[in-house]
Amino acid sequence: MSDVAHALEITGLTKTYDDGFTALEDFDLTVPAGSFFGLLGPNGAGKTTLIGSVCNLVRPTAGDIRVFGVPHSDHEARRQVGLSEQDVNLDRFLSVEETLVYHGGYFGMARRDARRRAAEMMDVFDLRGKAGVRAPMLSGGMRRRLLLARALMHEPRLVMLDEPTAGVDFELRLELWQYIRRLHEQGTTIVLTTHYLEEAEELCEEIALIKAGRLLARDTADGLRATYGADTLADVYVRAMGLGREGGARVAATMAPRDDA
Amino acid sequence: MNALLARHRGLVALSTREVHRVMKLWTQTVIAPILSSFLFIVVFGLSLGDRIRAIDGVDYEVFIVPGLIVMAMIQAAYANNSATVFQARFDRYINDVLAAPMKSWEVNLALSLGGIVRALLIGVGLVVLALAVVDVPIEQPLVLGAALALALTLFAQFGVIAGIYAQSWDHSAFVQNIVILPLTFLGGVFYSVELLPSPWEEVSHVNPIFYLVSAVRYGFLGTSEVDPLLALAVVAALTAGCIAWTSRLFSSGRRLKP
Repeated sequence: MSDVAHALEITGLTKTYDDGFTALEDFDLTVPAGSFFGLLGPNGAGKTTLIGSVCNLVRPTAGDIRVFGVPHSDHEARRQVGLSEQDVNLDRFLSVEETLVYHGGYFGMARRDARRRAAEMMDVFDLRGKAGVRAPMLSGGMRRRLLLARALMHEPRLVMLDEPTAGVDFELRLELWQYIRRLHEQGTTIVLTTHYLEEAEELCEEIALIKAGRLLARDTADGLRATYGADTLADVYVRAMGLGREGGARVAATMAPRDDA
Repeated sequence: MNALLARHRGLVALSTREVHRVMKLWTQTVIAPILSSFLFIVVFGLSLGDRIRAIDGVDYEVFIVPGLIVMAMIQAAYANNSATVFQARFDRYINDVLAAPMKSWEVNLALSLGGIVRALLIGVGLVVLALAVVDVPIEQPLVLGAALALALTLFAQFGVIAGIYAQSWDHSAFVQNIVILPLTFLGGVFYSVELLPSPWEEVSHVNPIFYLVSAVRYGFLGTSEVDPLLALAVVAALTAGCIAWTSRLFSSGRRLKP
């Protein structure tokens, strides 16, 4: 029997795509319940494949995934997971409110409960004024907020956030950080992937470094700095990923607050 | 009943979404096909009908109505479902459904229902309009019901399959324009295949839509070029094949998930 203290328990996960590319190989990971866990790694490291596998959007080649002790494909496990994907994938035919209410229905909520929860989510994410507006007509920032609201609609205990702040301005990023922090304070387990090292440092209690489908290290930001004998998380990243001077400069640049991200 | 609905809320929500999509675009999804098919009835039936002799004792303008109705319905069922599934894959909002705690048959059924509802709206609209200009009987309502149920299921499922396999909008349109439309025209919508010279009459018997048109025509007019049971059996076999295919796709996740 799995340890139900773990929100996520991944054992021996391998994913080889049809073109032969292996995104994850014999990957093990446990995420304690209630934690704020970060996944850091370059493009192609396997972060999105990992999240897709947990959320039943990618067919694993091998391995076992458990969510709160339940196999990830079971309906009980699916109900516990909320996902905000990297790409904005909103239903173009639906308004903001319909997007939330239908999502609630897909996840088994009664229509009345879904409408009530959608109203709450629209208030929390400042979308009330756009309730009847279709997703393609929203600004980029509002779409991001709607993605997050949709992920939280069915009150999941584990929320997977795949680069939730990619491509948003600095102000909105801070706003999203606030939402996510509040969510974590309420006891929700959060798994966050990001390319912004300062985001990982600011939010995550524990960070895993992934490269080429393998787990390189996992620890607190302080622990990783100590392990790699580095002063900053950027230095840790450069050393762990084996980047040269040019790569190091690019990583350091991600540490500075930006408003053009 | 409430307990049953509570167990299948995902199915209800996704079915509602599919019908909602059809109704949001009603001028394009329902009215346009009704008008174009009604024009066929007016132009071919009423304008040319007097110059064409009766077929199997049925006036030409009456003879073509069942075929035109079923043609509009199957095209709508196919086009709707191939478009909705392809769009959901293309924009990736299908992930919201694939991640949800829904059984694979529920997703399959819900995605199919939009096309079926759309086709039924078109069918009812066309029958009402056709009755205003020609006297079309419904001689065998049970056969008609069975034939339409099978036809709609077959093409709704075929549309889902095309939506899952399509890599572009062109692929979906290709099947509609290069496969379904010609087979429908060659399936005896506008003529009796018995009038064709050999070997074209025999070749027509390989066309599955010929059996579909025959079964529906028997339901309306009580006359058919083949045994209606054989026609229903052929359509039922094809429908079963398509259901097996989609069931496999949804349960395995192949083509839907990398």
